[in-house]
Amino acid sequence: MKWNHDDPIQQARLQITRRHFFSRTATGIGSAALGSLLAADAPKAGGAMPGLPHFAAKAKRVIYLFQHGAPSQLDLFDHKPQLAGARGKDLPASIRMGQRLTGMTAYQASFPVAPSIFQFAQHGKSGQWFSELIPHQAKVADELCVIKTLKTEAINHDPAVTFFQTGFQLAGRPSMGAWVSYGLGSENQDLPSFVVMVSQGSGNSQALADRAWGSGFLPSKYQGVKFRAGGDPVLYLSNPPGYESTARRRYLDDLAQLNEMSQREMHDPEIATRIAQYEMAFRMQTSVPELTDLSKEPEATFAMYGPDARKPGSYAANCILARRMAERGVRFIQLFHRGWDQHGNLPREIRKQCAETDQPSAALVQDLKQRGLLDDTLIVWGGEFGRTVYSQGTLTETNYGRDHHPRCFTMWLAGGGVKPGFSYGETDDFSYNIAENPVEIHDLHATMMHLMGVDHTRLTYKFQGRHYRLTDVHGRVVKDVLS
Amino acid sequence: MRPILSDKCFTCHGPDAKTKNIPLRLDLESAAKADLGGGRRAIVEGDPDTSELIRRVTTESKAKRMPPVHTGHAIAPKEVEALRSWIAAGAKWEKHWSFLPPRAPALPKVSNAAWVRNPIDAFVLERLDREGLRPSPEAGKEALLRRATLDLTGLPPAPAEIDAFLADSSPNAYERAVDRLLASPRYAERMAYRWLDYARYSDTNGYQFDGERSMWRWRDWVIEAFARNKPYDRFTLEQIAGDMLPGATTDQKVATGFNRNHRGNSEFGIIAEEYAVEYVIDRMETTSAVFMGLTMGCARCHNHKYDPIAQREFYQMYAYFNNVPEHGRAMKYGNSPPLTPAPTEEQQAQARELNAKIAAIEKWIEARGAQTRREMAAWSKTAAAGGQTLWAPDSGRERNLKRIVHDIEDRFSVSARVSAESAPNGAIWTRTDNSPRGRGYGLYARQGKLMVHFISDWDDDAIRITSKTALAGGRAYNVLVTYSGSRMAEGIHVYVDGAEIEMEVKLDTLYRPLGNAGKAFKEVFRIGEGGGAENKFNGVVEDVAVYSRVVNGDEIAALASTKPSLLYFLENAAAPEVRGQWAKLTQLRREREALERSFPTVMVMAELKQRRPTHLLQRGQYDKPGEVVEPGVPALLHPLPAGAPNNRLGFAQWLIAPENPLTARVGVNRFWQMMFGIGLVKTVEDFGLQGEWPSHPELLDWMSTEFVRSGWDVKGLLKLMVTSATYRQDSRATPELLQSDPENRLLARGARFRVPAESVRDTALAVAGLLDARIGGPSVKPYQPDGLWKELTMQDMDYAQAHGRDLYRRSLYTFWKRTVAPPMLANFDAANREACVVRESRTNTPLQALNLMNDVQFVEAARVFGQRMMLEGGASAEERLRYGFRLATGRVPKPAEVEVLRGSLNYHLDYFAGDAKRVEQFLAQGEAPIDARVDKRELAAFGSVGSLLLNLDETVTRQ
Repeated sequence: MKWNHDDPIQQARLQITRRHFFSRTATGIGSAALGSLLAADAPKAGGAMPGLPHFAAKAKRVIYLFQHGAPSQLDLFDHKPQLAGARGKDLPASIRMGQRLTGMTAYQASFPVAPSIFQFAQHGKSGQWFSELIPHQAKVADELCVIKTLKTEAINHDPAVTFFQTGFQLAGRPSMGAWVSYGLGSENQDLPSFVVMVSQGSGNSQALADRAWGSGFLPSKYQGVKFRAGGDPVLYLSNPPGYESTARRRYLDDLAQLNEMSQREMHDPEIATRIAQYEMAFRMQTSVPELTDLSKEPEATFAMYGPDARKPGSYAANCILARRMAERGVRFIQLFHRGWDQHGNLPREIRKQCAETDQPSAALVQDLKQRGLLDDTLIVWGGEFGRTVYSQGTLTETNYGRDHHPRCFTMWLAGGGVKPGFSYGETDDFSYNIAENPVEIHDLHATMMHLMGVDHTRLTYKFQGRHYRLTDVHGRVVKDVLS
Repeated sequence: MRPILSDKCFTCHGPDAKTKNIPLRLDLESAAKADLGGGRRAIVEGDPDTSELIRRVTTESKAKRMPPVHTGHAIAPKEVEALRSWIAAGAKWEKHWSFLPPRAPALPKVSNAAWVRNPIDAFVLERLDREGLRPSPEAGKEALLRRATLDLTGLPPAPAEIDAFLADSSPNAYERAVDRLLASPRYAERMAYRWLDYARYSDTNGYQFDGERSMWRWRDWVIEAFARNKPYDRFTLEQIAGDMLPGATTDQKVATGFNRNHRGNSEFGIIAEEYAVEYVIDRMETTSAVFMGLTMGCARCHNHKYDPIAQREFYQMYAYFNNVPEHGRAMKYGNSPPLTPAPTEEQQAQARELNAKIAAIEKWIEARGAQTRREMAAWSKTAAAGGQTLWAPDSGRERNLKRIVHDIEDRFSVSARVSAESAPNGAIWTRTDNSPRGRGYGLYARQGKLMVHFISDWDDDAIRITSKTALAGGRAYNVLVTYSGSRMAEGIHVYVDGAEIEMEVKLDTLYRPLGNAGKAFKEVFRIGEGGGAENKFNGVVEDVAVYSRVVNGDEIAALASTKPSLLYFLENAAAPEVRGQWAKLTQLRREREALERSFPTVMVMAELKQRRPTHLLQRGQYDKPGEVVEPGVPALLHPLPAGAPNNRLGFAQWLIAPENPLTARVGVNRFWQMMFGIGLVKTVEDFGLQGEWPSHPELLDWMSTEFVRSGWDVKGLLKLMVTSATYRQDSRATPELLQSDPENRLLARGARFRVPAESVRDTALAVAGLLDARIGGPSVKPYQPDGLWKELTMQDMDYAQAHGRDLYRRSLYTFWKRTVAPPMLANFDAANREACVVRESRTNTPLQALNLMNDVQFVEAARVFGQRMMLEGGASAEERLRYGFRLATGRVPKPAEVEVLRGSLNYHLDYFAGDAKRVEQFLAQGEAPIDARVDKRELAAFGSVGSLLLNLDETVTRQ
């Protein structure tokens, strides 16, 4: 049986327990009583679909570090020493094979090969290659599973991000976090199960859209909740100025009393749900500020995550928050760091982006590890596509730019169920095409789902007559990267 | 049977079986009953035991068992039994119900004829009789009025309306109230709520950059159409093909904005063809979902898996929408062609008035023409005339060339006299960053040929046009360029010595303005140079005149003339009465131009003169064109009506033809969804084989035929629905009904559901007395938390919140930005406006609770509501609370409810007592002023209770 989470029959059954409760309560309900009612109800209300997980999960939660704008694989991970000799020469036609280019470089008279100007070295016992731009990630080399052969179909930011987030290039389908919330439910009682945080990089930023973490055709309660640095961490979280929590508590008790009178008269399960959601809102008013308040973090935390860590809204601060959310049972945590779109002046720009992201990314791995959380947390790091080996614009001794490149790019995974200190896939000498072990976006999705105990072909939702899934009609689990 | 077969079998054994090399098809009767070899048949009429189908779904062998495990499908024992008895009874095959035209069924006999108010009730009661259920009693008058008012106008009833209704004891009091609601302008706005979702209306382009567009004139057309009760068939026809109607009016063209509301991608570097295809597909999918209830999109890449629609047929229908003179890359800001000026009614009246005045003067001047010409001939010989050979018109001329700031949406004209000894070469005038192929615009000569460039990016974002003929050296020319601000080559005209010359278009893809992110383009206007040091003009450029408008024919002649011009004469030397009339005419023409410049535009459908060939796209990919297909409608339905052209207009006529089995049913079902919360066919977007079967098929058919019979009368249909006994039932559920019919599909009780997102907000504004009643106009920007746009958009686009009355407009006027939707509406399940959404969705979340309690819009509304209770509710606290409760819920509170409200009020009076700071802070939310008559502490307390009332489940629910 396909289980519909909004199935009114299920709702009605829930309602019967609630009504049972109400009928036994003489007059109104106090907050304490409501609290325990919700605690009892919540696992059902926010729970997994029956039959899920399909098998034992290796990862209970995901922290996805989206590097928005597309970092250059050639300057960070995909070491191509042999390119030195090809410097400035036109990219051979045998490599390009007439593949489509964006309108930004399609008219370029030549495609001069631009080897990375950054030094690469091997690190850790695993001997993985990292460039000098990311020394901190290099230090956790033995924790990372680096995949060099991701590929995508999209060549522009919006379709590429949409593809990564939803498995389809055009907007309208649920995001991966929404699928996970829908399938696996929440691990906690007073926080959303899918949270998103966006930080601004110093570089060339491309637009993002709320739909990137939207629920598509799934009910909107599965959409990602955006946590923000300025103002309310969650929209409308704070009571109006002058209105304190004590007043809100009283207000909610009165509201619940009135709603309960309707409930007794109308017998509509939605009323009980509404009462419960107001209580959840109240709990969020405590749990969210507690979560986002970093003042009680020890000095060591800030030292570990680097100089930006005390700056609210920075990538580093968001990485600390991600760890705190993981501790509190948020199921799917997604960070977006903007600013990686380095069409020109790449050497200068990428230094800045790396300075913002390198240490915090590595710190998150270490921090989860020291807390024993890395084993059941899957970390994913990567952008929406890669960048071209040829220079966009003029190539000089110290400067070059790189256009969008969908044919191959690098991501890394760490933690819950993936091989640590492992490198997967090879690109050709120009990091232009994949030489072996291609990994499609659908494959990455299937693998992530697998690690969470979900068979990606069996988590479906019927919409417009079709059983949709995150991986559309594609996707295979990349078994080689599983531990 | 078909739903079982479709859902479980058709993925492989359906219309697309052939492409998978699967021999058996179960969607066709002949194939399903044919010999499969060796005498085996999938279905043997009357004999389930020898039917291969039954064997294979029941076999113990895992290898042979259907459906295969890997599909994730399984056929339940109950379903097997159903298949078995169907085959036993002869396996009768029928066309899918929705593909057969509806026939008006006879009214069924029912147990209680007295309950039946109109035929709807007969069908509903007949079903209840069969289920052994009885309808619920009629809802109380207050509940009924509130329900109908919310459903038909999106707003709660005002106390005076409730009083009038309660006082009206005539038997048709309710009908009269419904008539009043249907006649209200609020009705049309409420109907438009949903039509905007279906049509994916938005105020921005979507995709990456998501720049602003202007489609609100189309939105207002929809409101107007509902207000005037435009018959639904006309409503359909005009939106699909209004532009192709003979003598199409502005309104009919505006209507076609329906199919231009799709997203437009302006991202730098995209491949335009890729998105041109997506736009056409979006139109197809939207049109088929909205009017036909079909998921045509499934046939984009392959034959439809469930419905009998071949991939080829998908592209045949696609061809109807693939003939628009458009480009795959959208303008970064503003509307993308084709578009039309869409003056409002007021503007149209102004234009008519101006035109009449202008025509009268032109007639007067014309009539005096011969005499004026004689007078000019005489004047030409005078010395005064001799001094005016290089005169240029003054109106709109830029005197300071250093201050020229024209950008690509501005109109301007530049006139210059050029001469060179050899063929003219180099920059004539420019405003560029002064590098070769750099950003900016200018007029250049290359070996005598004239070139006009508007460059944002040389290869990908520019207009570049070149003259076909060359200027010679050794003489002077007047060269004049006019630009209409259209951002297209067709908006540029080049004149040499007053005669227009032909230009060849090299590139016509200008999307981005020169100034960007609020920064103006700073380059200076240069004469004889620009575009690099090498580009200096090889002769003389003089007498440069720049105008911030498009100069007209008389002026072009005057600028080109080296003799005294008629224009000079008319302005300066003609007889006083001629000069006077001429001055008036010039003034009026300027006014008309200004007026025309102020017309909003709207993107519309238009047809290419020569049909663009449509290819079947293999796997749906833009770069894999296959065979060429002719336009055509799906073969499973009726052919085009006799005499209808085989184009988009013919397609529209086909949609509304009497034999079309879908259009009326799909429309009726959606109206039902609006009034009852759920469609008779729950899958309002899918009437195909995978869609749900109607809960009351005969009711749907009766209403559909009645709808057509009535002349597609929407108000009539809605009246029928809301005056039925079915609609009027009390919405109280019993535990038994909740158990047996949790979704209320059998309609044994009234519907109860949360009002739509727009109504949640509009109700709060109405209850507070804040709602602004103005209809239509550009979208507005009410309160929104700071920084939401900035965090996600490029170039720091920020949200400029409105002030004053615009904060309180109805929610359908809220500016819709696709990438950052209005957060309150999004929280309450508004459709995302990315693509067509026809199914209504309702969730119940903690974020909604936070939104309703803490959003400044609602905090302010609560405060103003509190003030209203104090000022209008009466002298005592209890009277005021009762008044407030009634405003919010439409009914008088019960004593227990008043008790809770009193407790809350007292609590808040204490809470705010002696804490002036709390009071000040709480009351400072929102911009609405505080009435000087009220005590502030009391106001804070009443405002808190106001918030409580706005947050009541009952307030946000229609029941």
